[in-house]
Amino acid sequence: MATLQKKICMIGDFSVGKTSLVARFVRQAFSEKYMTTVGVKIDTKLVKAQDGREVKLILWDIAGNDALTTATTSYLRGAAGFLLVADGTRRPTFDSALNLQKAITAQIGNKPFVVLLNKADLSDQWEIDESLIEEKKQQGWKILSTSAKTGMNVEETFIDLATQMLEA
Amino acid sequence: MATIPLSIAKYIRSMWMAEMIITYLRIDKHGNLVDWGGYPQHYGLTNLATGKPVTEQVGFLEGLLSVPHTQVLQFVRVANGRCAHVHIMPLDNGTYVLMLDATAEHDRQQKMQQQLNELSILTYRQSQWLQELETTRQQLAEEKRLLNEVSELKSRFIATLSHELRSSLTSIVGYTELLDEAKQADVREANYLSSVKNNANHLLSLIDNVLDQAKLEAGQIVLQPSSCDVKQLIADLKPLFFPTAQEKGLAFETDIQPKMPARVILDEWRFRQVLINLITNALNFTEQGFVRITLGWQAGRLEFSVADSGPGISEQAQPKIFAPFHRESTTHALPGAGLGLAISHHIVNLMGGELTVESSLGQGSIFGGFVEASLAQPTASTDENVSTATEAKAKILIVDDNADIRNLMEIYLEDGGYAAITAGDGAEAIILALQTEPDLVLMDMQMPVTSGYEAVQQLRSDNFTKPIIALSASTLAQDKSYALEVGCDHYLVKPVSPEELLNTIEQILLKQHLA
Repeated sequence: MATLQKKICMIGDFSVGKTSLVARFVRQAFSEKYMTTVGVKIDTKLVKAQDGREVKLILWDIAGNDALTTATTSYLRGAAGFLLVADGTRRPTFDSALNLQKAITAQIGNKPFVVLLNKADLSDQWEIDESLIEEKKQQGWKILSTSAKTGMNVEETFIDLATQMLEA
Repeated sequence: MATIPLSIAKYIRSMWMAEMIITYLRIDKHGNLVDWGGYPQHYGLTNLATGKPVTEQVGFLEGLLSVPHTQVLQFVRVANGRCAHVHIMPLDNGTYVLMLDATAEHDRQQKMQQQLNELSILTYRQSQWLQELETTRQQLAEEKRLLNEVSELKSRFIATLSHELRSSLTSIVGYTELLDEAKQADVREANYLSSVKNNANHLLSLIDNVLDQAKLEAGQIVLQPSSCDVKQLIADLKPLFFPTAQEKGLAFETDIQPKMPARVILDEWRFRQVLINLITNALNFTEQGFVRITLGWQAGRLEFSVADSGPGISEQAQPKIFAPFHRESTTHALPGAGLGLAISHHIVNLMGGELTVESSLGQGSIFGGFVEASLAQPTASTDENVSTATEAKAKILIVDDNADIRNLMEIYLEDGGYAAITAGDGAEAIILALQTEPDLVLMDMQMPVTSGYEAVQQLRSDNFTKPIIALSASTLAQDKSYALEVGCDHYLVKPVSPEELLNTIEQILLKQHLA
């Protein structure tokens, strides 16, 4: 029996750490050096969902932008779920993530997603308002603090989304 | 325009095809790979097998097949680092996927985008820092405002305390002196009186020092330079200290160098304060030998020193000697709060000079330095006119809410040959002044109900033109300025000696008589 395959899109403003999260998840690697993504980078990883089923995740790491462009929209086709990534040390990136969520849902319909507040290792520079996070959680959003640098919550996030996608 | 020969066109096409590194995949309507061509290995696509699901072999095509019209995915970077523009085209019986290499274009765009993004992050961080700076600036401004408020409250508290203490001390010192003069005291009684007087004066000096230190710390002391006869200043100081020196069997010497100018411009009161502090210290610490004051003039500098043959100061102790509240003596209790040297040092610095100490244990000490001063123009003496002007008795209105001080001033003035009338508050003073037309008013400034300031303002607006001397317990410069601003002609600080009071009145009446 063929392995299940699911496409996940990584979406968010530039320099929020989407590529680093994928690198941490796929290769257990991290680099302090910032390299901007142009277009989209494809990676894959075989994971076991929470119910024990194996699923091959096709990870689309899409170039950062604060809004949905035509190119980004074309990359979203066929996505089974998405990760909305924001930089916890830059408040505007969280606002971008909120806007992107609306735009993506309008494009591809309701798909499982998780919001990641990345760079949790830089907690002393944190700019995201806890009350806003709570408000979104009350609406059923899944919001997690992650750190591509330390690996905090990275694996768990992808497994969680994979499970959600399989259940959807 | 000539057409390109077919052979050249073919050559260009082959070059372009090579540059594009084209790969194509043909997929049937079930999603199975039908055939492929070009350079799939260039994009990491190896072991392609026809007849099998293409998404299992080319992962990124997951969810992308069965397009209604051609879709182009730009800059798709696959696992081996190569980048392609991926064209997905619908066919009658499936899908056609075309991959054209875009690695070079990707790298160029990435370089540009990288710079833009880095610049954008820098700009954001910069704006955050500026915002933080602005917040910090506002916090500091608020803290400064609060500190100023506290400082103002502290100044007011000190001024009020000073007023109360000085008012009481004015009565104690004044009445003790009167008692001393009036009573034929025996030795024991004279000692009692002397003790009361000395302790009252000591308290007064302590209050002055604490106030001065507070004002120096708050930067509230403003120098008031005027023409000063340095020789006369020393002559005035001598009688203050000579009795103590004589009592202790010390030689009290003064040495003014011959080239000292007749008059120099400096803040005489503050310079006098420095000398008094230094001489008092020298006399306190010296049990035998001498205390010597030396003054010299050196091109815009008034040099001074106070030397003694006291116990001296150890080298380790010298750096701390000018610190506030520092007490060097451990051998016996000495009067004072340890502020005299600190205040003197600060004042000398304010006067553009410096104060240092040279000393070693058992060898005595020399406290000396210099202050900046300039030469003053000699002024004509008015001594001859004084006697003429003061021959006539004058009527003086004394205004003070403190009955003890009112009575004391009355005694001073009557002893000085003046006629005195009194008022207990500002409102009464206005009525009396306008009705009785005194030659001069001696006005307390801090009184309940109608203050001296209000009374003076009212009198001046009622065209009362006679001189008014403010007699206040406040030593704050702003209180003095305000008193002069509202219409006072002179400002005296309590406690005032009879000599100072009578001299001031005499001078002011003389000035008015000459005017």
